[in-house]
Amino acid sequence: MLGELHITTPPPHGGHLVDRVIRDPDEGKKMADGCSAVYDIKPTLYKDMPIRNVYREIMSICYGFFSPVEGSMRSEELERVLNERRLSSGWVFPYPMLFDISKEDLKKLGVVPGDRLLLRLKGQPFAVLDIEEIYNIDPLDVTTRTFGTVEKNPEVVVVPFDEKHPGYTIYKYFNTEVLAGKYTIINEPKLKPPFDRFWFPPAKSREEYKRRGWTTVINHQTRNVPHVGHEALMRNAAYIGDTKPCDGIQVNAIIGAKRIGDYPDEAIVESHEMVNLAGYVGPKRHLATMCLWDMRYGNPIESLLHGIIRQNMGCTHHMFGRDHAALGPYYDMYAAQTLWEKGIPSFGFPKPPYAVEKGLYMRPQNMAEFWYCPHCAEVTYSESCTHKGEFQRFSGSFIRSLLAEGIFPPSVIMRREVYQIVVKWWKQFGYPFNNKKYLTEREKELEVDLPKMEVPKFK
Amino acid sequence: MNYLSVLLDAKRLSDLKGSPLEGKVTDMFGGALKALVMEVPEELAGKIIDNLPGARLDARFFIEEVPIAFKRALFEKIKTMKSIGTEVIDAVFADLPKIKELAAKESESLPVPDIDISEALALQKK
Repeated sequence: MLGELHITTPPPHGGHLVDRVIRDPDEGKKMADGCSAVYDIKPTLYKDMPIRNVYREIMSICYGFFSPVEGSMRSEELERVLNERRLSSGWVFPYPMLFDISKEDLKKLGVVPGDRLLLRLKGQPFAVLDIEEIYNIDPLDVTTRTFGTVEKNPEVVVVPFDEKHPGYTIYKYFNTEVLAGKYTIINEPKLKPPFDRFWFPPAKSREEYKRRGWTTVINHQTRNVPHVGHEALMRNAAYIGDTKPCDGIQVNAIIGAKRIGDYPDEAIVESHEMVNLAGYVGPKRHLATMCLWDMRYGNPIESLLHGIIRQNMGCTHHMFGRDHAALGPYYDMYAAQTLWEKGIPSFGFPKPPYAVEKGLYMRPQNMAEFWYCPHCAEVTYSESCTHKGEFQRFSGSFIRSLLAEGIFPPSVIMRREVYQIVVKWWKQFGYPFNNKKYLTEREKELEVDLPKMEVPKFK
Repeated sequence: MNYLSVLLDAKRLSDLKGSPLEGKVTDMFGGALKALVMEVPEELAGKIIDNLPGARLDARFFIEEVPIAFKRALFEKIKTMKSIGTEVIDAVFADLPKIKELAAKESESLPVPDIDISEALALQKK
C-alpha cells in the first residue's frame, strides 16, 4: 500500500513566518521617536556603480521571505552560517545577512548595543534596527567563505572567485563595521508600478494559493525575460505534482541590482506575466511574483536561498536547472543539482537540504534542458531527444544579441507578445538594457516610495 | 572550441550569393534564422571577451553580446575575405580602436525596433 500521496502546503522555514512590519503609522512614528540616532541607507558601490542596497534585504527579512531570519546577524551567527550554513537556531540558511557601515559613519552615529537606530530611505523614515552587537569583519574573509574555494569545496568550486563575479564583489565591498540586531519596518513602503502587482510576500502568496485552491505549487526562478525554452521547462516540470500535475506554477523574479546588458527588471516581471496573459500557460495556473534581493549568483548557495524564499511563499516544488543562478566558470555547472540530489558535505550538507535536520520542505525538480529540435519539430527535453547536430540550444545571451541586431525573434525562440514587452521597456530605458544611466537612476528611485513621516527629532 | 555566429538577414544573404560562403550558411532553429558559425580557439575567444565591453561566453560556448559594431565589421571582413577562418577576426582586430569608439556610442545610436506593441498593451489593459 502506498498510503497518502497528496502533498500539502509546507510550513514556513523555521516554523513561522516572520512579519516585522508596523502597519499603524502612529505606532511607527512612536518607534522612530524612540531612536537614538538616524542613518541614511547607502548602496554598496563598485567602481561607482550601485551593486547592492541593504534596503532590499530589510524588505525581504521583514516581510518574511527570508524567515526565520529577523535581522542583521550577530557575530556568532555569522560564523555558523559561514561554517555550516546554519543559523544559531540550527535552521539551514546560506548567506550572511549583515547591516554594514563604515568606521566613519559608526563614529558619527555614536551608537552602542541597546540603542535603536532609525534607518532612512529616500529621505523618509523606513525601518529601525535594535542594536544587539557591534563588531567588525574582514570583508574578503566573509566573501571567500561565503562562496567557497577550490581547496575547501572541491565538489563544486572549479575556479577561484574574483571581481568578475558580482556576488563576490558585493561581499568584498562590504563596509567593515556591522550593526547586528532585528529590523522592523515602521513606515510601510508602497511598491511602485509595475512591481506592485507582482508583490506577493509569503503571507499574501499563501493566502492567494489557498484562494485559488493550489496545494502543489512549483517555482520557476528567473532573472530573465522568458524564451520558449523557459516556457517548456515550466510547463513540463510542473507535471511532477502529486496525483496530478502541480496546481500552480509560481514564477519568482529576483529584483535588484543587475549587470549592464541584462534586461530591466520591469521587462522581466511583465514579460513573465505576458506568458499567462497571452494564454501560453493560462493565468489560472500561472502567477508571476517577485522578491527583492541583489543576486549573489552563488549557484548551489543561491539555490538554497531560493528554496527558503519559495517554501516561505508556499511552494511545494522547485525547478533547478543547469547553471542555476550561476555566472561564469566558478562553480561546476551542475552544482545546484548536486546539492539537491545528494548534498555537498563541504558546505554543511552531507545529505540534500530536504533530508537534513532543520532543513527544507521543498521537493527539487532537477531538470536538464529544453532545446529546439527541427527533427522532432518541437521544443524537446535534452534527455529525450537524440538528434545530435540538429538540435539548437536556447541562450539568453544569443537572444539579446539577436534583439540588438534588430532581428525580430522567430516565434520558435520568443513569443511575439513577450518581445513586445521587451520593446515597450526598450523604448523607455534605451539600449543596452540595464545601461549605466538606468542602473544609476534606478538606484535613486528604487522599487518603492515611502509615505511622508515627520520625526521632528531627526529633521 | 568556442564559436561566434554572424546572423544573416535577407541583405546579408544576398551579399553572399555566388560566393563559396553560400554553402557554409547554417540553419538555426529549423531554418527560422540563418547564420555563419565561426570556430574560435579559446585564446582568441579570451582576447575578444577581454577587449569588447559586454562580450560573454554563453552556455553553448558561443561568444555573445559583442558590440553590434564588431558584428557589422566582422560581416564586412567575411564578405571581402570570403572566409570564416580566424584570420577574419584578426583583420577586424586591426581596427579595434574604431570598433571600441563605435561601441561606446551604441547606447545612443541603436534604434528601438519599430514594431507594433499594441497587442501586448491591450492584453495588459484587459
